[in-house]
Amino acid sequence: MHKRNAAFRIVKRSEYSVQRMILYYIIAILLAFGIGGILLAALKVDVIRFYKEMLTIGMLDNAYPYRSVEGLIKVFVPLVLVSLALSLAYRMKFWNVGGEGQFIVGALGAAWVAMLFGERLSTPVMLLLMILAGGLFAGLFGVFTAVLKVRFGTNETLLTLMCNYIALYVLKYFGETKTGWNLFLSKDSARPKFEKIPQNAFMPTIQMGRFSLNISLLLAIVFTVFMIFYLNKSKQGYEISVVGDSVNTAKYAGMKVGRIIIRTVFLSAMVIGVAGACHVSTSHTLSTSITNNVGWTGVIVAWLAKLNPIGILVTSFLISVLQYGTSVANANFTAVDANFANLLQGIILFIILAVDFLLKFKIVRTGKTNNNKEVA
Amino acid sequence: MATDSYAIELRNITKTFGKVVANKGIHLKLRKGEILSLLGENGSGKTTLMNMLSGIYKPDEGQIIVDGQEVSIQSPEDAKRLGIGMVHQHFKLVDVFSAADNILMGDENAGMLLRRNRYEKIEQIAKRFGFEIDPKKKVCNMSVSEKQTIEIIKVLYYGAKTIILDEPTAVLTVQEIAKLFRILRKMKEQGHSIIIITHKLNEVMDISDRVMIMRKGEYIDTVLAGETNEQQLTELMVGRKVSLDIARPVVEHTKPLLEIRDLTIRNDEGAVAIDKINFYIRGGEILGVAGIAGCGQKELCEAIAGLRPIESGMMIHKGDNIVGLSPQAIIEKGIAMSFIPEDRLGMGLAPSLSITDNMLLKRYQKTGKPHSPFVDRKAGRQFAQQVIDELQVVTPSTETPVRLLSGGNVQKVLLGREIATGPNVIVTAYPVRGLDVNSSYAIYDILNKQKQDGVGILFVGEDLDVMMALCDKIMVICHGRLMGVVHAHKVTKEELGLMMTGAMDISELNGKTAGIAKDSNIQEGGEENA
Repeated sequence: MHKRNAAFRIVKRSEYSVQRMILYYIIAILLAFGIGGILLAALKVDVIRFYKEMLTIGMLDNAYPYRSVEGLIKVFVPLVLVSLALSLAYRMKFWNVGGEGQFIVGALGAAWVAMLFGERLSTPVMLLLMILAGGLFAGLFGVFTAVLKVRFGTNETLLTLMCNYIALYVLKYFGETKTGWNLFLSKDSARPKFEKIPQNAFMPTIQMGRFSLNISLLLAIVFTVFMIFYLNKSKQGYEISVVGDSVNTAKYAGMKVGRIIIRTVFLSAMVIGVAGACHVSTSHTLSTSITNNVGWTGVIVAWLAKLNPIGILVTSFLISVLQYGTSVANANFTAVDANFANLLQGIILFIILAVDFLLKFKIVRTGKTNNNKEVA
Repeated sequence: MATDSYAIELRNITKTFGKVVANKGIHLKLRKGEILSLLGENGSGKTTLMNMLSGIYKPDEGQIIVDGQEVSIQSPEDAKRLGIGMVHQHFKLVDVFSAADNILMGDENAGMLLRRNRYEKIEQIAKRFGFEIDPKKKVCNMSVSEKQTIEIIKVLYYGAKTIILDEPTAVLTVQEIAKLFRILRKMKEQGHSIIIITHKLNEVMDISDRVMIMRKGEYIDTVLAGETNEQQLTELMVGRKVSLDIARPVVEHTKPLLEIRDLTIRNDEGAVAIDKINFYIRGGEILGVAGIAGCGQKELCEAIAGLRPIESGMMIHKGDNIVGLSPQAIIEKGIAMSFIPEDRLGMGLAPSLSITDNMLLKRYQKTGKPHSPFVDRKAGRQFAQQVIDELQVVTPSTETPVRLLSGGNVQKVLLGREIATGPNVIVTAYPVRGLDVNSSYAIYDILNKQKQDGVGILFVGEDLDVMMALCDKIMVICHGRLMGVVHAHKVTKEELGLMMTGAMDISELNGKTAGIAKDSNIQEGGEENA
């Protein structure tokens, strides 16, 4: 008989320490930058200058530094809204990975309202209608998977995932089919091209000197505050926690679990739709890459922040700096391909997630007398 | 130094888990051909100690000596080689395999192919020790007792001379326990040494030669079974004098509070779980429900709480039909249900939430201002503090997640919440499941106090001794059918055992159907006075 003894084994940590978490995250980021640095050096790029430009999102030696902040906000707002919305569903253990699709449907809904009413409405009324339409369309698009889950026990991960592709190809269809009724396309262009939304549907800004503050940032912050109260203080938030912890217990307590799931998923998808509507209004046009992968990045942000609203606010900001910073820096270095920004982001996220594993578990050498389970 | 008369000797074994000392300087000597009982309350470190013998854990300090040789047991394979086999509390079997295949599965010498003669091999072992088993039967069609038999044969098949059994009787009926003990004695005659972990005192007295007592991870004493008694063992185990008598206060009964007629319920698979049963509960009495595990107890509790639709029949509470009402409406009628499942946390509590939040579970909609969108946590905290004080729950604070509490405290939180709602009927299933002597008695006291306050209690239990002492009446179900309702102080354990296995049916005695009250609220003809 032979002995199969691994040299190492994985042990669950019994205690959770915030200091260790912060330390590990810092190490993870440094490690990721180190690996990225090696790759950059291999491309014969000045590593320090690249990182400096990236981390300051191109504000140094720039005649228009406020433009960088404006650009950052455009990345940050959708990300924070989508992450918060996803965390709502995740707290209930409903694995909504349909952020991409719900974002697209929200954007389509908002653009449709904008195109339909054109210049006839004042900006506040128009914006309100766009947000309502985006939220409603996306909410219904998302809640459809929840209804199927409640009624027939279908797997929400698969369904929301597939819905992403449905939404994406519907958007592409609108982007490529020139017919009379397709009011998304430009009438002047012979080739199919998304039309700009009318001016009164543009997201207004508050002028602060030369810097113009996008109103949607305020919306994101207000919504974060709302989420903190909703999750921790409200009866609905309490119901979400109980359903997420134990469906049997929720039923036993007399809660209408199906209704809670449907309500929460609708809310989650609706907020993602609102994010989509705001994004159309901010970027002034639809495009097939309108999501900028925010539905996926949002999943990562929600998990890194442990579904905590404040954590999501902070994590979204850091990830936005990373995303926007790399794209800015990469524009100034011809040797660096646009894909490099994505590569670097991938490395950083991967290492942070790996570190997250080390926060929950530790690796010990076998042979050392250590516990591997709780007292039986 | 060590003589050959010891099969196993443990010297000064210490094992810690983080800051918790599970075993501290334990000594154990197991003679060849003896049955040694390992007695101790929950968390006293019995299972941990045995897991070090079976290679699951390794001791931090101390020596293990097998047949006079010091050994190091690194893995279950090592233990197997040294002739040590353990039957765990939770069986480790593949449901879709036959008995023989489950046993042979781990045999590396058996080759790659399944041989036709594999069933004979198992039958030989079974015959030698007196097991009754069909080696071709699949595990999914087996009773708990049969599954346990496979686990024991498995251990014997791999040549174990020392067999460790972790709480083997917890899941068996009286008759099955007797059968198991006959087999254990036969194994002893053939020179096997046996360690049996338990906390049932009468069994300890019955089966063992010597008894080793542990308390809070420490070795207390080893006594000869012939020279001790249950009272002395309890004192050694608990560390102080305890009265082993469960009180059964006499309370004046009220009219039937809850009456069940011809109730039929299906389980999740669609099979009949409860088959046309009748019973009733009066205020001021405890009605025990006895039956082998999985005989419809869960379905019955769920149906009363409104969590499971019924197939047919009547459930009348104080003259009102409660069939088809929502769980919320049934809670409002004052019917409280607490069910402690095997994992203890599955139903009734949200493990990751705080005690406060768990206290609010059934009343979060009503506490605080009506129609307020916010949860009144202040009231919840007061409520939690009240239950903690009254039932002496050990917890750092009201905000501690329930899953971090020990078993006894979890069950007190659950029962405390149910009682605090002021119910008139309490349905409680396995409220002392896995609890040690002290916590169990605390729970019995709580139930008795409710009974004295005029509450009707349905007590679904496992331990017949406890039910015979605590309950006023006991109804026995077997495969979902009512076998009879008996007075707890008149019945014997053997009779209950026979009824549980279906061998005795007194549901129709002298032309009287059991479980129908003389002063029923239900008028004959099937119509209830609504």
